[in-house]
Amino acid sequence: MNDRRERFERMVAPHASAAYNLARWLTRNDHDAEDVAQEAMLRAYRHLDGLRGEARPWLLAIVRNACFSWLRANRPAEVEPLEDDVADALPGPETYAARSLDRRMLNEAIAALPVQFREVLVLRELEDLPYRDIARIAEIPIGTVMSRLARARRLLGEALRVVAVPRLKVHR
Amino acid sequence: MKPEDAARALHAYVDGELDAVSSLALEAELASNPSLRAAHERLRELSASIRSNAEYYAAPARLKEAPAAPRRRYALLIPAFATVAAIAVAIGLLATRPGEDEALAREAVAAHVRANLSGRQIDVASSDQHTVKPWLSARLPFSPPVPDLSQAGYELTGARLDYLGSAPVAALVYQRRQHVIDVYVSRDADPSPRSPLHSLSRDGFNLEHFGAAGLRYWIVSDLSPNELADFSRLFAQR
Repeated sequence: MNDRRERFERMVAPHASAAYNLARWLTRNDHDAEDVAQEAMLRAYRHLDGLRGEARPWLLAIVRNACFSWLRANRPAEVEPLEDDVADALPGPETYAARSLDRRMLNEAIAALPVQFREVLVLRELEDLPYRDIARIAEIPIGTVMSRLARARRLLGEALRVVAVPRLKVHR
Repeated sequence: MKPEDAARALHAYVDGELDAVSSLALEAELASNPSLRAAHERLRELSASIRSNAEYYAAPARLKEAPAAPRRRYALLIPAFATVAAIAVAIGLLATRPGEDEALAREAVAAHVRANLSGRQIDVASSDQHTVKPWLSARLPFSPPVPDLSQAGYELTGARLDYLGSAPVAALVYQRRQHVIDVYVSRDADPSPRSPLHSLSRDGFNLEHFGAAGLRYWIVSDLSPNELADFSRLFAQR
């Protein structure tokens, strides 16, 4: 009877922190993150037979779905569809002011991003996932991953510039 | 390379996602364009800074354990008095209809309640009929059918061994929404063909009973009578 349990503990349980971290960044609080992540782990356990290939992106897709269901039920305003893919993924990185990054401000700035940008940023920078996996998890085309990531970074750079170094000279 | 193309490619470049040809083109551009080079530097710094400074939330310990044999949250919430009342009602109901079937029905309801109350619902947790069926066959003197009814919205969650009428039986566990459905399967000593015998319904616990192909089936759930009858019909067809 313990085949499934053994497989779960070997393949999925090691990624519990990835699951929790994503849930925590998307729900933005400990309590709901734990509930949502727990539910996702249970779902992963039940659907373990559907696991092919790498476990971490597979699990993160389940977590991401659980988070968005939760957001739709509890914070519907946060998951309103984006006007995506306009060319304003540009003007690119000229506005970054990375050197003045402060831990707390950085975390607040990420938390303040719209959830669709936050998720690609977290999956890319904190999970180090390739665009292909991010596209699958967030259920968007790779081109959209790229434009959302660019926009996430730009928004982040702007937020940090405004907060951190208001007198920084910006090339536009 | 146009400036906006370069700016866009820069992200993919920093992420290691730019193809070789475009990377060469971008590198040539970087070599000759100081402001692009500065942008590249800032982008790399930002990325590195997020990686080293952004919070990575570690999972609470309990998240790292395999879920115990799938727990039913609500099973823990059934107040004991309600359970006792349900058993009393079931017994009262069935006691007025003497006979072997009624005794078994009574036991089936009690077994269902007991399993839900104790949390011991599942010995083999799997949604895969090809895992559950061999597990049961290996432990019983018969091989119960384990149909996949997920298309109809009834998810197999596993099975356990139980005891009805002084004989070991298979208990298949299905789930629909929050409702657990137990299907008790026992060997039928009486070889004469059987058709659906009866449905019972009282205070939330409903029961369907039929026999087929030398096996008898007791289906117990707190699902609505209509849905349980649907389930029973689907199950019998497989």
